[in-house]
Amino acid sequence: MQNKLIGYVMILAVLLFGGLGTVQAAGAAKASNPEAAKVEKMIAVADKARKRAASVEGEWRDVGKMLKKAKAALAKGDYKTAKKLAAKAKSQGEMGYKQAVAQKDLKMPSYLKY
Amino acid sequence: MTISTKLLGMASAGVLLAGQLALAPVASAAGPSMTEEGKKLAFSRKKGNCLACHAIAGGQAAGNIAPPLGAMQSRFKNKAELKAQIMDATVKNPESSMPPFGRHKILSGAEIDKVVEFVWSL
Amino acid sequence: MKHLLKKIAMLAVAGGIAASAQASPEADLEAFQKFFKKRFASVATEEYVNGVYAIDPIGRENWEAIEEFPPYEPFIDDGQAMWEKPFANGKTYKDCFADGPAIAGIYPLWDKKNGMVITLALALNKCREANGEKPLKYKKGPINDILSYLAYESRGLKTNVIIPKDDPRALEAYEKGKKFYYTRRGQLNFSCANCHLQNAGMNIRADTLSPALGHTTHFPVYRSKWGTVGTLHRRFTGCNKQVRAKPFKAQGEQYRNLEYFLTYMSNGLELNGPGARK
Repeated sequence: MQNKLIGYVMILAVLLFGGLGTVQAAGAAKASNPEAAKVEKMIAVADKARKRAASVEGEWRDVGKMLKKAKAALAKGDYKTAKKLAAKAKSQGEMGYKQAVAQKDLKMPSYLKY
Repeated sequence: MTISTKLLGMASAGVLLAGQLALAPVASAAGPSMTEEGKKLAFSRKKGNCLACHAIAGGQAAGNIAPPLGAMQSRFKNKAELKAQIMDATVKNPESSMPPFGRHKILSGAEIDKVVEFVWSL
Repeated sequence: MKHLLKKIAMLAVAGGIAASAQASPEADLEAFQKFFKKRFASVATEEYVNGVYAIDPIGRENWEAIEEFPPYEPFIDDGQAMWEKPFANGKTYKDCFADGPAIAGIYPLWDKKNGMVITLALALNKCREANGEKPLKYKKGPINDILSYLAYESRGLKTNVIIPKDDPRALEAYEKGKKFYYTRRGQLNFSCANCHLQNAGMNIRADTLSPALGHTTHFPVYRSKWGTVGTLHRRFTGCNKQVRAKPFKAQGEQYRNLEYFLTYMSNGLELNGPGARK
């Protein structure tokens, strides 16, 4: 029962802060908002990871979409969502790069008999 | 899924868990509910989608690319070994076509633990 | 350490591991076709033009029923009209392709002058642009009409991709396509070969994985899932997306090289496009 209560309070808190965030982002002082600047930087870093993966033909399907959504969330002042998406995009960019680089040299499968 | 149904689900899971704890106070965290959640993840096309390749009792339209999942406790020494296989099957066999669910974060760590519980129970 | 590595490398070469990665296209072709002969001993090589239906008798029955009233037929008719209709400047496709319309057999081909693989779709658009027409989109739409018509007229010709020996860049393009084919991609970590070689004939859920051999003979293809005819590069796009990799540009270098390799692997098989698939 107590858990449930905590859950409600948390949801309320998220809604409240989300609302505040929107107000903040809508304000002209967006550039001076350190949280927004931080998220923007995260998105830029993630986009760099995406491009790095693409440069070795290793980009994954949803990274671009995640970044788009992250930007939209940032614009709405939803920093929590934006951060989460940017972090995921960065991680997927890095994994895609790693995957491609690990296969730099073609290794033919053993089931093909020459 | 709306927030309210999600909450309802969480709340009822909590009640369920509480009930089980009351009945069997020594049960570990890896109780039947975890196995049940693991099953959902394993069967879901968007999550584990184990059925794409493995036949599993109770699963419909399973593939046959990989061995049926059964008698797992005789095939793996322990849960840790099974988990390692789900995390990245290419460690043992570089030519395995099984997706590396952990290495590529196809499932989260918590989700993999649930899937391990379920598969271990088969 | 260096000495040891050298030794290992030498051993690898002796063992044929490194050798197959750099095998000649001829040796690749032999190994590829041999693989399928071994896996499906009762299936004749020329049967592979029928794709998954060469190895799936139940699916085949449905497919044969569909082929009695081919869903791609209207596309062939529309394509014929396109082929015959003059461009704004009065010329037609025939002015670009004197041997037309049965020309699918020579594509994809190596273009020495431009140092690139030219596919039939690309050649069609080059013709349009040379005559002041807008290029067609490469995945959906009218390009499939004209491709359907040309494929239909080319039925019975044999796949005969040539990798000219007088231009090392041709072999390089082939090697790039081959590398693409065996490289794992996307979050799910599948290569083309994982599904269509290693696990060809197995079921993924309720679907049988089609064999790679013969994959290129029947394009463009009417897919029930699409409800229309689509190009080979549209299909490549779909495959890449399924493994959660970002697809490449249709008719971009990656897919053209992939088509070059993959079509070469079906050398000797009859062209039977357009096809119908699930």
